[in-house]
Amino acid sequence: MAEAIHDALGQVLARWTMGSTAAPVAPVWKAEIGEDPIEAELRLLALSGQFLGMAVIAEPPADLRALPDLPALALPTLPDAARPLARRVLAKGDARHKRSLAQFAAGRGWTLHPADWMPAASEEDAPDVYAPWRDWSEAAATGSGSKRGGSDGLTAANWEDFWPAARNAALAELRHRDPEAARVLLETRLPGEGADTRLRLLGQLTQGLSDADAPFLETVAAGDRAPKVKALAASLLARLGRGPAVGEETTELAGFFTLGTKGLLRRSRTVAANVLKTHAQRIRRQTLFAGADYTGFAAAMGMSGEELAAIWQWGDDVLADIELAGMAGRSASDAIVAELCTALTEHSLPNLGALLALASRIGPTQRASIAQRVLRAGGSYQDALVIADAGGRVEGVTDVPAEAALLHALGSADARPGDHAAELQALGMLASRAGAQKALERLVRGAGLLQADPRLDMLRLNAALEDRGVQG
Amino acid sequence: MLGALGDWVAIDLGRIEGLATDQASLKAAAGLAKPGKWSGVGGSADGALIWGECAGSGANPYRVMADLRDLGNKCTCPSRKFPCKHVLALLWLNAEAVVTFAPEDIPAWVSDWLGRRRGTSAAPVGAAAKPASDAPKDLRAAQRAEPEAPEDPKAAARREASAAKRSEDTERAILDSLDALEQWIGDQLRMGLAAFIDDATARCRRIAARLVDGKAAALAGRIDELPARLLGQPAGDRPRAAVVELGKLVLLARAFRAAPRDADIRRAVASSENRETVLASSDTVRVTGLWEVLAEQVQTRRDGLVSQATWLLNLGSQGPRFAMLLDYFPASAGRRTSAFTPGERFSGEVAFFPGRNPLRGLLLQRAAEGADTQDWPEAARDLAEALTAPLHAEPWILDIPVLLPPGRVARDAAGQGWWRPADATMALPLAEGVEGLIRGTELTRAAALWSGNRLAILAAQTPWGRIGADG
Repeated sequence: MAEAIHDALGQVLARWTMGSTAAPVAPVWKAEIGEDPIEAELRLLALSGQFLGMAVIAEPPADLRALPDLPALALPTLPDAARPLARRVLAKGDARHKRSLAQFAAGRGWTLHPADWMPAASEEDAPDVYAPWRDWSEAAATGSGSKRGGSDGLTAANWEDFWPAARNAALAELRHRDPEAARVLLETRLPGEGADTRLRLLGQLTQGLSDADAPFLETVAAGDRAPKVKALAASLLARLGRGPAVGEETTELAGFFTLGTKGLLRRSRTVAANVLKTHAQRIRRQTLFAGADYTGFAAAMGMSGEELAAIWQWGDDVLADIELAGMAGRSASDAIVAELCTALTEHSLPNLGALLALASRIGPTQRASIAQRVLRAGGSYQDALVIADAGGRVEGVTDVPAEAALLHALGSADARPGDHAAELQALGMLASRAGAQKALERLVRGAGLLQADPRLDMLRLNAALEDRGVQG
Repeated sequence: MLGALGDWVAIDLGRIEGLATDQASLKAAAGLAKPGKWSGVGGSADGALIWGECAGSGANPYRVMADLRDLGNKCTCPSRKFPCKHVLALLWLNAEAVVTFAPEDIPAWVSDWLGRRRGTSAAPVGAAAKPASDAPKDLRAAQRAEPEAPEDPKAAARREASAAKRSEDTERAILDSLDALEQWIGDQLRMGLAAFIDDATARCRRIAARLVDGKAAALAGRIDELPARLLGQPAGDRPRAAVVELGKLVLLARAFRAAPRDADIRRAVASSENRETVLASSDTVRVTGLWEVLAEQVQTRRDGLVSQATWLLNLGSQGPRFAMLLDYFPASAGRRTSAFTPGERFSGEVAFFPGRNPLRGLLLQRAAEGADTQDWPEAARDLAEALTAPLHAEPWILDIPVLLPPGRVARDAAGQGWWRPADATMALPLAEGVEGLIRGTELTRAAALWSGNRLAILAAQTPWGRIGADG
């Protein structure tokens, strides 16, 4: 019976779809629907609807495929008690903000729960610990159910077995553990990859860069097909002091500065930016900085890179400071970058643009230390966060001008509920756990904020989240 | 006096009088300022915030909160008065220490409100907003019971006769509108379902308006939402879905003609009973136990109402497995605070509207549940039976909640998601929007709504813990 109904329904549906009467093609229900043509159609509709709704379910295709299990990460997910707060923090921001929270959590030795946040495959800024989830997302997006990647270390032989994000993370780990082996692996596999991937992979050499990498980098700088890859190889060579010889443009750049001396007894050299009179001059100097390397510029000024770092007059020309820092961040050695950072932060309120240009070249501990100096020098929490980059390990976030300003503003009679939310959020991302606990107490007692104030969510999460002492 | 709270600010009755919009609000608040009307009353440790839940006419108790620093307040009731009677009652309870506002952790719903507040938060009470109305208001007068006029037997008889007449008129109007509905359905078949699908929104709007005039408001709301359900299907499935939808309407119209006083059918065609009627009915099933909030579905309807459906899973062994708390409020009232957080568990009593498959309920009272480890109940043994049995009793219902056995999500070549049990004996097509973790993990149990041709997962238990549909 059911089969006969099922067979008849094809025609019934076809007729109704076109606007014809269907009762004549449903003899199986002749007795139930009766003779009256209008009533018969309605009864047939009721019966057909009931049959289709109860007995007919779409047939699953034979090619159904389940995605592989989402892999567990190397770090545990946040404790259940912390997840509601993390969800509230996540709900307040864009993708970048969410990645910052992921980075904060990873800095403490945790990962976000996948039901709360997962990086998209394209989110290269996500902490490396999330690489398996990025690859899983890519597999999901491409409809691939295959499982790739293994527990073995990355080698030339198993290169293709890794999904891109996991491969990148594995290469970073190898470079950290055995820089020589990582470079040899790149020598073998780099030519077979696309330009964007080559650029990303070559960037891994910034870690542990040494003279041993120079021959490979020279080959890439001379022969790679992509200008961006060649430029990266050239800048890495420059960091090793193997930049191009001083050319006309570098000499022209040096002409924008004047060497002088100071001191009567112990005369020392100084370098001062010439006053720029036109917009065209500013653009020209900017262009020349963008194309020059640090060592070459120092040579054109007639000194070593170390001497230039020591005598540069920070604060006289803010734009020149940023341009020099950008050039150094791209092409100076690690030692020079560290020296420039130290010199820069000794100023009363460091040039944040210049610091930011150098920040990507220094480690998290030094960044935290510089962020602390920025705070002591009168910078805001948001300024310091730009430098520390959601590290969640900056000590000394209280008893600084930023805190006094915040307490004053939040405690004033005309303070409104949404005021200073970004500054409080930055404080929460920045502070060490102990610092967060102390800041929280002061904000509640000193500024009269409620513990439950949503602006304190990040700070409360920070204060509650154990530091497992593992970097993600 | 601030009950058990800290040292923030004391609120006096004069302030409450000043805050009320009129004497009627105070009168109504007086009726609510009694401990028995409230549950979950608490306050922040610093005494600045107070909150509580007050039973109202909706399916959920209203969540009421106030900031004593500036008398800022919020209630989840749909009242257009600000502040509403619930807020006034909460303040009253506090001012007169009628109940103890014990210091507690601030619930998430209070924190959410704080985050959305506009206006000053830290302004002292003395500087708070001026009274909403200059009309004289008096709390003590509001508390006085009005003397009841002696019952006039003739007037009572007239009222009863009038009510009977109204009921008869309503039934006649509904029957007329159902005639119009059947004629309309016949017209759609004659003009072709292809054309109906293309023009469903306008056509459904017209007949829905007719049904509203004919007192068949519930049916009108259902038909207004029919195009959305239809167009949510893949194009190839729409003729079939149209037949199912229209067929159910025919069945419902016929069922009403056969039994116009049947509670289930009347609820589906005309309107639902009010809270008092449900609570007074001897057919009402009351279940006290442990509940888990599966999901909340908020939908803005074409008739200008927002429906807020909260799905609960009964973790105990007695009573219906699922409960749905359904409230409506005008879209113009703005965003409404959620009554629950998905995953939240509580002990409480639910009164189910009388019916063949009790599902819709009223939450009478609840208390937060401490750390419990109770698992979800076992899934139905015969899944096919669970998916269809409710339709035998009420063939017009749209969604059937079901607890699924272990399984996982799979996809076909076209990207359509399917739920497949671990034994792979069947597969059910999933509604759109299944993203993230739920696609990449075993679902050891899942709670879902079956619409007859699509499965919408509400929540699931997984090796990663409990996750929602978007997990």
